[in-house]
Amino acid sequence: MALTCGGFTAIAMAFPMKEQIEAIEKDALAHIAAATSERTLDDARVAVLGKKGTLTLAAAGIKDVLKEDKAAVGQLLNAARAAITDALDATQAALRGIADRAALVGIDATLPARALPLGALHPLTQIRDQAIGILRRIGFALADGPEIEDEFHCFDALNTPADHPARNAKDTFYFDSGKLLRTHTSSVQIRTMEAQAPPIRIIAPGSAYRRDEIDATHLSVFNQLEGLAVGNDISLPDLKGTLEYFFRELFGTTTEVRFRPHFFPFTEPSFEIDVKLQIKGQAPRWIEVAGCGMVDPAVFDAINTSRNDNAYDPEKTTGFAFGMGLDRLAMIRWGIRDIRLLIENDVRFLKQFA
Amino acid sequence: MNISLNWLATHLDLTGKSIQEIDDLFTFAGVEVEGIVIKGITSDKIVVAQVMEAVQHPHADRLKVTQVDAGEGSLRQIVCGAQNYQVGDKVPCALPGTALPGGFTISETVMRKVESRGMLCSAAELGLQAGEDGLLILPPDSQIGKPLMEMFDSDVLLELEVTPNRPDLLSHRGMARELATLLKTPLQPLDLPSRSVGVSPTSAIRIAAPTACPLYTAVRITGVTVQDSPAWLKQRLESIGQRPINNIVDVTNYVLHELGQPLHAFDAAKLSGGIVVRHAVEGEVFLALDASQHILTTDDLLIADASGRALALGGVMGGADSGVTAATTDILLESAYFTPSGIRRTSRRCCLSSDSSYRFERGVDPAGVLAASALAVKLILETAGGSAEVANLTAGEAPVLTRPVALDVAKLNQLMGSSISLPDAEAILTRLGLTKLADATWEVPSFRADLQRHIDLVEEIARVHGLDKVPSRLAGTFVPASASDAAYDADMVLRRRLAALGLYECQTIKLIAGHQVGDSLMARPLLDGDLIRVKLPLSEDHAVMRPSLVPGLLASAVRNVGQQVKSLRFFELGRVFRNAGGGKARDQESDALAILLAGPTEPFGWAQTQRDADMYDLKGVLSALLGGREIRFSPKDRPGFVLACDIKLAGQVVGVFARLAPARERELDFTAPVYVAEFDLAKLRKLLGGIQHVVDLPLFPGSSRDAAMELPLTTANAQIESVIDKAAEPLLVACECFDVFTDPTGVKLAVERKSLAYRFHYRASERTLKSDEVDAAHQRLLAALTSQLGVKFR
Repeated sequence: MALTCGGFTAIAMAFPMKEQIEAIEKDALAHIAAATSERTLDDARVAVLGKKGTLTLAAAGIKDVLKEDKAAVGQLLNAARAAITDALDATQAALRGIADRAALVGIDATLPARALPLGALHPLTQIRDQAIGILRRIGFALADGPEIEDEFHCFDALNTPADHPARNAKDTFYFDSGKLLRTHTSSVQIRTMEAQAPPIRIIAPGSAYRRDEIDATHLSVFNQLEGLAVGNDISLPDLKGTLEYFFRELFGTTTEVRFRPHFFPFTEPSFEIDVKLQIKGQAPRWIEVAGCGMVDPAVFDAINTSRNDNAYDPEKTTGFAFGMGLDRLAMIRWGIRDIRLLIENDVRFLKQFA
Repeated sequence: MNISLNWLATHLDLTGKSIQEIDDLFTFAGVEVEGIVIKGITSDKIVVAQVMEAVQHPHADRLKVTQVDAGEGSLRQIVCGAQNYQVGDKVPCALPGTALPGGFTISETVMRKVESRGMLCSAAELGLQAGEDGLLILPPDSQIGKPLMEMFDSDVLLELEVTPNRPDLLSHRGMARELATLLKTPLQPLDLPSRSVGVSPTSAIRIAAPTACPLYTAVRITGVTVQDSPAWLKQRLESIGQRPINNIVDVTNYVLHELGQPLHAFDAAKLSGGIVVRHAVEGEVFLALDASQHILTTDDLLIADASGRALALGGVMGGADSGVTAATTDILLESAYFTPSGIRRTSRRCCLSSDSSYRFERGVDPAGVLAASALAVKLILETAGGSAEVANLTAGEAPVLTRPVALDVAKLNQLMGSSISLPDAEAILTRLGLTKLADATWEVPSFRADLQRHIDLVEEIARVHGLDKVPSRLAGTFVPASASDAAYDADMVLRRRLAALGLYECQTIKLIAGHQVGDSLMARPLLDGDLIRVKLPLSEDHAVMRPSLVPGLLASAVRNVGQQVKSLRFFELGRVFRNAGGGKARDQESDALAILLAGPTEPFGWAQTQRDADMYDLKGVLSALLGGREIRFSPKDRPGFVLACDIKLAGQVVGVFARLAPARERELDFTAPVYVAEFDLAKLRKLLGGIQHVVDLPLFPGSSRDAAMELPLTTANAQIESVIDKAAEPLLVACECFDVFTDPTGVKLAVERKSLAYRFHYRASERTLKSDEVDAAHQRLLAALTSQLGVKFR
């Protein structure tokens, strides 16, 4: 016998091979069953299946077994190994299950979050982005222009008479240079047409300025969105279809939209647009949201003079223009009662838009 | 402008039109209805009823159950809470369906198990002058069943906003004419007396300023008695919110609101000689009847007498002592046409506006000057007695402001989407008072000087036809995206990233106060003359165009500190304005992005310990914002700030970073350091375009080596980075600083020393590196650091 050492050696010496294997298995299963942690379970595994484990050593003894018994002993060994391995796996799974459950004890899912800082886009950015998204979908491209403007682009080219009230230093911010802060984004119409021949299909979001004292409904600096489409066959149906589409996309597909005749120096005919909306707690009512109209031929004349060509021949060219206050749209959209909330940046207000 | 519905109804038949219909009518004529004030009773469902019986309500102490006779043949049971009536009294009864002024509608109802079919009303409930409490007791001879609206005066006051192109609507006659067109109903003929006209000798009227006043007429009326106006006249003026003054002044005001032609009555006794219409002398002083004093220019028009004394600021306001008083017996009645632009300039310059200037500056009907005078003469003679000169003295001529206009049918159809037939379009023009001439052009009435071009006729047709009858078309040409589109998209990416990083976007006002300018942070410092100031600011708080976004963000942060907000994390994208080179290059506009960070980096809560943001937090936000691109900071002093650095991306300065000077932080009541950065957006947009192509993933493993370096406290990390950059070690793919150690006590490390730990990553793209190759590369780097910075390795 070449069996030498190990805790279970005595058994191997004292019994024939079959009994020896059975004893090892029984002993191993008992140790496995007694394990209370993964660590003691591992000890049991090493004692049986490790390099010098009892079953490993017993298996080494197979070389001394009679040839005709080898197959039977081999089977016995394999069966014992399988039983022990199964027991080890099952016990390990059970112990892990217990440990996993223990690890969850005391965790209170109802405690508040480990909070991350919140951030948000300003409501004005949100409404502007939505408006731009709708208009881009129907093929408008963005345009831009300076906010410090000259009288030509802000007034003259827009058919505004020299003594028009808007040109008064009481209503408009002027600079010593004679320039002014644009009173509307309509000046971008002029700049675009000066630089580009028709067809034109642009929108221009941007700031405009009026010398209004700041109060709940007025800002001296406010935000507009201007639109202009110019081409060969642009007509009132285009104006109507485009703006109905826009406001129904913005306020809901069933929104009623109406066009009231109005007057602007730079469009003729001109309209104001109302949408019928229900503000929380009130009966639905018509709310003014935009101004629009067909570009006045006098505007095309001014552009041609400025361009020194006839690209905007008033006999052939027509167009429509529209403008709306984005601050106002935001106020309508979210029921904001005081326009100053849009420039005060109070976190208690801004976080509602997160 | 105020319009009385009763007054309007003297010009056209409005029977059966509800207030809502009239509101809509005005609205779609392009006249904005700003207010509707209902006076008296307007519902015919409020009738006289006699109380026939009143018994105690079985379930309510304070109520009675009445049976009333409302003239319906059978009695009507109504539950009533009033106490002030007796059985037999006649009282107002609102039948079911009545809308009361208070905004509720009467319906048949059950009150505490007893049926009630109407409401007995108090004066206040009917919108009448409130009398004593309880029901309005009507005179005993009131006819049962009669609508109360027939017994009490009622009217509707409409507050209208007329667009500046329609001066013809600034009177009851004008409005009526418009409504008649829209309603296709006839207008009542105007009963105007005819008066003869005589050309005035220049001794009586001399026009020295014919451009400003092409036509001036006057009538002398002698022997008038100035007194209170008769009731009908007072009531007309009161119905539109005007205060009656005396019969002469009231007549001129009445005619103004009736026909739209302003008139003025002078006390003839106060005139010395004839009328002279002239421009003012530069610096001439005029005292208006509202006691305001004006220093005039040669552009202002005066009505003066032969002695040169100013009687009135032409078309704007009468003088302080030329008007009609109780003692007046002879008057001179002016009716004239003043050129709009001059009146507008004078009115603006003098800050003086009147019903008269409001109409003249928009343009009155030149052909209506004499008619208005005739009506006024008739009414003055009726109300004040006296006798008038046979003829109006006139000087000058009524200007002709209209001319025939052609209607281009092809263009009309194109613009209207062929939604109106030519006969219908022509019918609209005809109803508006235009006449088709033999050559197919249209003659325009004198009161519509706004109709000068083809497009003006189209506007009228479109307005009257209504846009609701025009089809909608959704079509458009395709257009390429513009540079503005690209900029907008880039900005939205930045905005979304910053919001996702836990920052709130702000919108601050672009006009800032002069004292905020010092908070500006920008790459190019401001020189004298670089600030842009508005000429006439609303207040000193909004006087300067912002040269930087930082002042506005700081003000927002301060505001939030005042609301006990601790964690301040803000950004803004927007335009900034400045001159450059001390005012040499003017009015430069550019877009900027600014970020502000101060106070706790994480929300207050059980699971985290709070720590105030430091400069590395803001650096972290910037790195994340710039998509992990390598940004370098190079220190550069900025007044008002500490720790200021230029921010470099791809070797280019794209922005500035700094901490607000601690003294300024204290001044603004911040309790934590405030870090700010401002970028030039145009540069960021250019550098932040997406990647051109991906980098292939490494096929072979790399290996890393750590190095703990000890070096003087004053050696900047940038110096280490610079040595590593210059070494250009080919196997080095990345390195990062992962520990910084200092010991202010000097125990573990000398106070003036620091220890930095770096991890270096080595890799070759075409093979697995051998350990000794990595060691050799690492040693080369360490040697370079030692030789160039004296770094010791631990």
